[in-house]
Amino acid sequence: MATKRIGMEGSFAIAEAVKLANADVVAAYPITPQTHIVERLAELVANGELNAEYIPVESEHSAMSACLGSSAVGARTFTATAGQGLELMHEVLYVASSLRLPIVMTVANRALSGPLSVWGDHSDVMATRDCGWIQIFAENVQQVFDLVLCAFHIAEDPSVLFPTMVHVDGFHLSHVIESLYLLEQEEVDKFLPKYHHPYALNPDKPVTIGAFGPPNIYTETKKPQDIALRASKKVILQVWRKFSELTGRYYSPVESYKAKDADVLLLVMGSFSETAMMAIDKMREEGQKVGLIRLRLWRPFPFDEFRQAVAQAQLLIVLDRALSFGGPTGPVCSEIQAALYPLETRPKIISFVGGLGGRDISVPTFEDIIRRGMAKAKQGRLDELEMIEVRE
Amino acid sequence: MEKDETIEIRWHGRGGQGAVTSAELLALAAINEGKFAQAFPSFGPERRGAPVLAFNRISNVGHIRVRAAVTNPDVVVVLDPGLIYITDVTSGLKQDGIVVVNTPKSLADIKSELSGPWKLAVVNATVIAREALGIPIVNTAMLGALLKATEILGLESLVEPIKERFGPRAKNNIDACHRAYEETLMAELSVVGQGPRKAFETERLLSWQELLPGCVVIEAGNAKQYRTGDWKSQHPVWDQQRCIKCGICSLFCPEGCIGQNKEGDFEANMYYCKGCGICARECWTEAITMVEET
Ligand code: SF4
Ligand code: SF4
Repeated sequence: MATKRIGMEGSFAIAEAVKLANADVVAAYPITPQTHIVERLAELVANGELNAEYIPVESEHSAMSACLGSSAVGARTFTATAGQGLELMHEVLYVASSLRLPIVMTVANRALSGPLSVWGDHSDVMATRDCGWIQIFAENVQQVFDLVLCAFHIAEDPSVLFPTMVHVDGFHLSHVIESLYLLEQEEVDKFLPKYHHPYALNPDKPVTIGAFGPPNIYTETKKPQDIALRASKKVILQVWRKFSELTGRYYSPVESYKAKDADVLLLVMGSFSETAMMAIDKMREEGQKVGLIRLRLWRPFPFDEFRQAVAQAQLLIVLDRALSFGGPTGPVCSEIQAALYPLETRPKIISFVGGLGGRDISVPTFEDIIRRGMAKAKQGRLDELEMIEVRE
Repeated sequence: MEKDETIEIRWHGRGGQGAVTSAELLALAAINEGKFAQAFPSFGPERRGAPVLAFNRISNVGHIRVRAAVTNPDVVVVLDPGLIYITDVTSGLKQDGIVVVNTPKSLADIKSELSGPWKLAVVNATVIAREALGIPIVNTAMLGALLKATEILGLESLVEPIKERFGPRAKNNIDACHRAYEETLMAELSVVGQGPRKAFETERLLSWQELLPGCVVIEAGNAKQYRTGDWKSQHPVWDQQRCIKCGICSLFCPEGCIGQNKEGDFEANMYYCKGCGICARECWTEAITMVEET
């Protein structure tokens, strides 16, 4: 294992992981809202460091369509997008998951226009919640690198065969330089099995994919798709365990921070969790029993792990980085409410929305969120969604 | 119709024959009479000749709420005689229900092919349509037959909707409708009998456990199983005396289903022949004639 800690931009770390995974095809639309990920990959392909087919297409819709084709012939396929680009792919995302094509894609999570915005939040992810992909959140550059490598392993497992998104907060992770440990090529080769799609397109053994599904069969096609996506969690756990044996770095569907004896838990997804940890530390020093829950696996939703992680708490404060306009609470919070509703005893839940369109959340603001959440719970104001730091 | 009755009708036709139009005209006529009615098609791949369904509900009571296909009809209308042999047209038909069939066959012949606790009404709508309209589109004629068999509406209620739909061609369609009304014959079916000869087996639908990941179909060339033969209302007949064995017909057949038999004569495989008539049109010695299915 590489023992030297090096500095690298998040986007470049992703490109490095894709190179080490020896991707066969990279199809991407190279203009805004694209990131340095595909720029760096183009360079790696051009200078011969990565022996892959690089397809610069004319739109994100075409990028995902090209990925369908290359994944279907059994080529290891990668693409990257962000924000509006993800939305333009939307239609094809569903095709990828229902055809069971293990494409790996990083999404540099961004806000959606208008007003025109290319800055970070989770609006793009939330709009693709139900598209049938495995969705994993990273919190720092090391995780970005690790989780992209693991994503190929998970997606391509013969019992999984689902496309997988690794969510990398736009700018906060895609454009930040920090340190990480890379892996050696031999280590990756040992870790990552060859991709073999059992029904890959092959002229010598023709198959039909993407046939049409009239009403008398469509439902029968959807049930096994949902069952298989839920069942993929088993493989996700296995792959992350195998990765920890190689690197000593552990990943799980739901991760906690100082949460064991906490009465009050804050739930955050993505890169803001590390800032939130600072707030937790500070409040712990003051003697408050607060902790942090980070949802790493967004789809399939890790019900068991999540319920277990919050079982002891009195209060759960959820921070969303997206809005569900006119909806019950923030999109993550309403899922959390749904996940806990069937339980006899469950924590009270308070919903906050913040960090929209590239706005940071500072350590004191996180402290403030927790305090306000506690106060609101005491007052019984559980049915409000509150947007933080909105200028009057 | 009784005061508090809702009548459910299922139309069996082929793409292009106007089954959907029939159902629509009937519903509009019923609503014009002050009744409540529904008409809707069973949406499928749109192909000329392929079997299609359309549905009606007609009620004296009030707004019809159910929005699902009619599976237990009071009346079944069959626009194409060949459909009796390839689909289960009487499926779910209620006791004492009525089957209205377009057929060139006699009442006695059809009675020997259909059996069950139902009434039968027959009319040769294809001939009526050809004579009244010049084309074998039987929807308006079959509306006449339906009204004769069921008396759910007055024949005159159809006039306005037909005028609106067909404009300058309305008069001929009204004639077809009236003539079919006059010529429709009724009989009771015998409860026991053999049922119609079935040309093909009905296909079994797969369960969700049987589908492969991504619904991939690994059986190469399985389009061979696809019975395009179900679509035809006419089939080609060869005059081998005239045929000079040039093979032009086989080149033009869109199904590629024309070949030479052991004797070297050209013939079509009826499992695939969809009755398009292209072979008859392209044959330059006029050795092929298209003949109505019966
Ligand atoms: S085109 Fe006419 S003449 Fe030629 S093979 Fe066919 S039937 Fe015979
Ligand atoms: S009618 Fe003639 S051309 Fe058309 S499918 Fe049948 S055999 Fe082929």
